[in-house]
Amino acid sequence: MAETAVSTRPDNARRRTRTVRTGTSPAARLLERSWLIAVVFILWWVLSARSTNFFVPSLQEILAVLARDLSSGVIPDGAAYSLTNLAAGLLLAVAVGIVLGLILGEANRLRQVVDPVIHFFRSVPQAALVPLIIGAFGMGQGPKIYTIAFACMWPVLLNTIDGVLGVEPTVRRFAKVYRIPPGLYFRRVVLPAALPQIVAGVRVALPIGITVMVVSELFAATRGLGFYILNSSATFQVPETWAGALFVGVIGYILSVAFVLCERRILRWYIKSGAK
Amino acid sequence: MSNQARTVDPGLALQRLLAVAVLLAVWQVVVFSGVLPSMTPGVVEIAAAIGSTITSAVFWASLGKTMLAALSGWLIAVAAGTGLGLLVGSLPRLDRSSSILIDFGRSFPVLALMPVVIMMLGSNTRMEIVVVALSCLWPVLVQTIYGARRQEAAVVDTVRTFRIPKLLWFRRVLLPGAMPFIATGIRISASISILVAVGVEVLSQAPGIGRQITLAQQAQHWDKAFAYLFFAGLVGWGIALLLQTAEARLLKWNRQANG
Repeated sequence: MAETAVSTRPDNARRRTRTVRTGTSPAARLLERSWLIAVVFILWWVLSARSTNFFVPSLQEILAVLARDLSSGVIPDGAAYSLTNLAAGLLLAVAVGIVLGLILGEANRLRQVVDPVIHFFRSVPQAALVPLIIGAFGMGQGPKIYTIAFACMWPVLLNTIDGVLGVEPTVRRFAKVYRIPPGLYFRRVVLPAALPQIVAGVRVALPIGITVMVVSELFAATRGLGFYILNSSATFQVPETWAGALFVGVIGYILSVAFVLCERRILRWYIKSGAK
Repeated sequence: MSNQARTVDPGLALQRLLAVAVLLAVWQVVVFSGVLPSMTPGVVEIAAAIGSTITSAVFWASLGKTMLAALSGWLIAVAAGTGLGLLVGSLPRLDRSSSILIDFGRSFPVLALMPVVIMMLGSNTRMEIVVVALSCLWPVLVQTIYGARRQEAAVVDTVRTFRIPKLLWFRRVLLPGAMPFIATGIRISASISILVAVGVEVLSQAPGIGRQITLAQQAQHWDKAFAYLFFAGLVGWGIALLLQTAEARLLKWNRQANG
C-alpha cells in the first residue's frame, strides 16, 4: 500500500541527526541557535519603526497592542475558546481515526474496496467544508468542532492503517496460534505496534487542525482568535490584526514543540529500542 | 499499487462501485430521515447540480483561476524553497542558526496571516498567490534542507580529496543527493497549494472555486455548493495521483538503489 504511507515520509525530517560537537559550551550553542532570530527581530523593529504605510504598523505598536489585549483578557478568552474547539475536534478525529484504522488495517478486502473513497475524502480541501458545515449547522461551537474533526481524521486514519499493516507477520501468526481473543489482540498487539505511526499521523493532523480552527472562525464566529483577527481587520484596527495573526503563529509553534516533547515521552520505549 | 489491482481484478472494481453506491444510499437515507438540516440536498439534486456545473462557463473560469493561483504560488515556493534549502542545508552553521526560525515558520498557520496580506495587497489573485507561496514554501524548504544535509562521509571526503569544483559538486553531488527529498517536498506542497488556494477564496473575495462555494452557500444554492465541493475534491485527488506517479517514475533510480 504505497499510497497510504504518504504522510509519514516527511516526518523523518524531524528526527534530525544531532551532531554533538565536543568543545562547544551550552552558552555558545544557545547563541548560535538564537542570533538569527534576534537579527530578524531587530531588523523588523528598526525597519517598521519609520513605516508610513498605514497597513504596516511598527513592531513596537503591534507588541504594545498584543500586551494590552493579553492583559485585558480579550486574547486569552479568544484563545481558550479556539483551543477548546481544537482539542475537542482533534480528540474526536483521533478516536474515530484509530478505531476505523484498526478495522480497515485488519480487513484487507474492505480496505481495498473503500480505498478510493478514503482518498477522495482526504483530498477535499478542508477549508471548502467550512461554509457548508457552518452554513448548515450554524455559527456555534459544535459545527466548528466537527469541521476540525473531519479534516484531522484522514491523516490519523491513513497512518493507523499503515501502522497495522506494519505489524510483523510472525507476531500476527503467533496471536492466531495462541488464540488471543480479539479484544486483547487489538489492545496489546496491534495498537502498540501501530502506535508510532498513529502518533506521526496525529502530528500531521495538528497543523491541519490549527488551520481549520482559524479558518472556521475567520469565516463566521462571535468568539475566538480567528474572530479577533477578522473583527480587527474589518474595523481597520491594523495593529490588532497583526497582533492576532502573530499570536496564532506563536500558538502554532508552541503546540508543535509541545507535541514533539509529548511524542518523545509516549514513544520512549520505541525510540530506545532503536527501531528504524 | 491500487492501480494495478484495479486492472487485474474486475470484482474489486465492482465492489468499489458498490461501496460508493452504499455511501450515496446512506446519504439519501440521512437526508430523508431529517437528521440533517432541511436544506441539505439529496443525491439526485447534487448529481443534477454536478451535471449543470460542469457545462457552465463560470465553473471553468473559476477552476482556471484557482489552478492559476495555486500553480503560480507553488512554482514561486518551489524555486525559493529549493534555492534557500540547498544553501542552508549545505552550510551546517547556517543550518543550526536558522532551525528555530524555520520551525516557527513551518508551524505558522499561514491562513491566519491572510487578513494582513489582504490589507496590504487587496482581495485579489495577487494576494492569493502570495498566501499560497507562503504556505507551500515550508515543506519544500524543510525537505530540501534535510536532503542537502545528509551527505555521506565517504562522498564528502571524495569531493575534498579530488578537489571537485564547487559548481560541479553542486550539480552532480548535492542536487542529485537531495533530489528524492526535494521531490517529496514538492509533492506535499502541490497538494497544499490547492488546499490553500481554495481556502483563501472561501474566506476572501478572490475569484475561484472556493469563492463559488461561499457564494452558492450564501445564496442558499446548496446543491451547487456541494457540486463545487465535489469538484474541489476531485481536483485535489487528481493532483495527488498525478504527482505520485510522476515522482515514482522520475525517481526510479533512487528506489532501485535503495530497494
